[in-house]
Amino acid sequence: MNQTVVSYLSQYEFYDIILEAFGNNEGLLAFVIYSLFAVIIVALCATIGGLGTYAERKISADIQQRLGPNRVGPYGILQFLADGVKMMTKEDVMPFTADKMLFYLAPCLALVGVFATLAVLPWSSGFIMADMNVGIFYLIAISSLVGVSVFLGGYASNSKWSMLGGMRGASQIISYEIPVTISILAIVLLAGGMSFGAIVGHQKGLPTNWFIFHNPFAFVAFFVYFIGALAETNRAPFDLPEAESELVSGYHTEYTGMRFGFFALAEYIEVFVVCGVAAALFLGGSNLPFDISFDILPIQLVEVVIFMTKTLLLYYVVIWIRWTFPRLRVDQLMSICWKYLTPIAIVNLCGCAIWLVVFNGRSFAQIVFGGHH
Amino acid sequence: MMGLASYLLISLILFVAGLVVMIARKNIVAILLGIELILNASALNFVAYSRYVTNNLDGHIFSLFIIVVAAAEAAVGLAIVIRFFQIKETVHVDEATQLRN
Amino acid sequence: MFAQLLFAMSALLTVGGAIAVVVTKNIMHSCIFLLACLIGVAGLYATLGADFVAVTQIMVYVGGIVILMLFAVMLTGGKDFVSRAQNLLGLAPSMGNKWTFSIAILVSIVFLLTNISLIGNIVRSHAPKTFGNDYPSTVSQIGHLLVKDHVLAFELSSVLLLGALVGAAIIARPRKQ
Repeated sequence: MNQTVVSYLSQYEFYDIILEAFGNNEGLLAFVIYSLFAVIIVALCATIGGLGTYAERKISADIQQRLGPNRVGPYGILQFLADGVKMMTKEDVMPFTADKMLFYLAPCLALVGVFATLAVLPWSSGFIMADMNVGIFYLIAISSLVGVSVFLGGYASNSKWSMLGGMRGASQIISYEIPVTISILAIVLLAGGMSFGAIVGHQKGLPTNWFIFHNPFAFVAFFVYFIGALAETNRAPFDLPEAESELVSGYHTEYTGMRFGFFALAEYIEVFVVCGVAAALFLGGSNLPFDISFDILPIQLVEVVIFMTKTLLLYYVVIWIRWTFPRLRVDQLMSICWKYLTPIAIVNLCGCAIWLVVFNGRSFAQIVFGGHH
Repeated sequence: MMGLASYLLISLILFVAGLVVMIARKNIVAILLGIELILNASALNFVAYSRYVTNNLDGHIFSLFIIVVAAAEAAVGLAIVIRFFQIKETVHVDEATQLRN
Repeated sequence: MFAQLLFAMSALLTVGGAIAVVVTKNIMHSCIFLLACLIGVAGLYATLGADFVAVTQIMVYVGGIVILMLFAVMLTGGKDFVSRAQNLLGLAPSMGNKWTFSIAILVSIVFLLTNISLIGNIVRSHAPKTFGNDYPSTVSQIGHLLVKDHVLAFELSSVLLLGALVGAAIIARPRKQ
């Protein structure tokens, strides 16, 4: 039932060979495989987070007709390494009146909350660390640790900017969780399960089988999800918690060095995760556009590339939006969430349920072009 | 190590901790923290019995409803705390001496 | 092995968090220790094979209740009332004099012994079942139970939540004097 990367790899012959090398100790081998995958995924995502900062600066430069970073490495691509080294060697300053324990805890909580979501992210049909039956629910739940960390970072700094940023951040994150969760619920309804394996498996084949094109309500749900996800990750135009023109840098004003780096890294990885979830839930995930009867490891790698392509395209859109739209006011932010997105999401959920009953679970394309169920 | 007894023991510790918090603290928010601990202790008991004794999922359902009730209770309780603070400018539980404002 | 490791870590987190909630003077720190304790309880649910309950626990408590508590602490000044008169346990002295304490200690010993014998009886009366590493998923079964056997409670809980939502909004609303 609960498929994992270990149970996926165990169908191959080389698994048995490795198992013998481990003295037939399945628990130990599973531990080694999980650790290896965790290290690979964390390293990959940390690199993506780092490259995210580079992409952000380069794309914003492109939009504003500048050059952007171009000194370190070819096209300035090693800029993020230079930034990382700079952050690690900086002095770690803590305000005198800060709450010491919470000040140290907050950046770690942010990173823990984001890295814990990577356990269920479906990189391909086989490479998913744990395809739990509560997959998407787990992801929504554990990523709310970021909200706690934003709040704590603001409170513990004991500075007015940080305090305001932290309160704005926490209220924004818990408010926007509602439309995001309800639009995800519509997709759970269509897929008939909360595991990423089931959701992605339902969208096999051509783009007409993707859930975004399943019915008009799911199409709207995608945009509700995407707007809500932008707000949940504190990205512009919803970056009220770190609005630099009002609150110096919001909840991480007082953080320096690698502790600030943790917050920044967590934000960029979280953007990657929500884009990955959007790709998996609405845009077909890692499915190839045609059926393949056999399953070998290179095909899994192709699927990983497909998933990454969709995710990174969405990542580009996120950065594009940031440098295009002006920032909202706080009251506009809350009225968008409670007066527009939440009712739309609820209507979408009911609409999806009615569609499923009326058309017997067939998608829009299947009704128009005919097709098997 | 993983048996019914260890779960019951943990739940006992949770319950007693919640009780001590409720009795010893004078801050209303802290009293609400104690209530959360006690509710969690009972929910943990339900799930533990459901696995080791009855072998059906009614215990899970019960603990889900406990979580729902805890959420409702926390929302209303904290709203009352904030209202109380607006009136009396304190959250000391001994100051809550009148029903009307 | 995984399950036992998870159990040990969760139990440590739960018990440590619960004790820290009791002994910490700072109410903000208490909230964070409560968070640790609740995540530990979620881990214990996971070791019991209750995946849905575990994730619901994280969702409701971490995402909702703890943030609400932190907000309430911050909006009410963040002070805890540590009385100057401390007794031997460092607890607030509201519970009375040495007589009440000695009675309380007696009662707690009786309580503890009763509990131990009760737990012992329960454990002895149910022969230990051996569970392998199989944790069948509970999601679909819980779904069926919620809309079949327990549908009344399910619907009533939605009414309860709506009432709590409206009630909390009305109570906390700032009023003009």
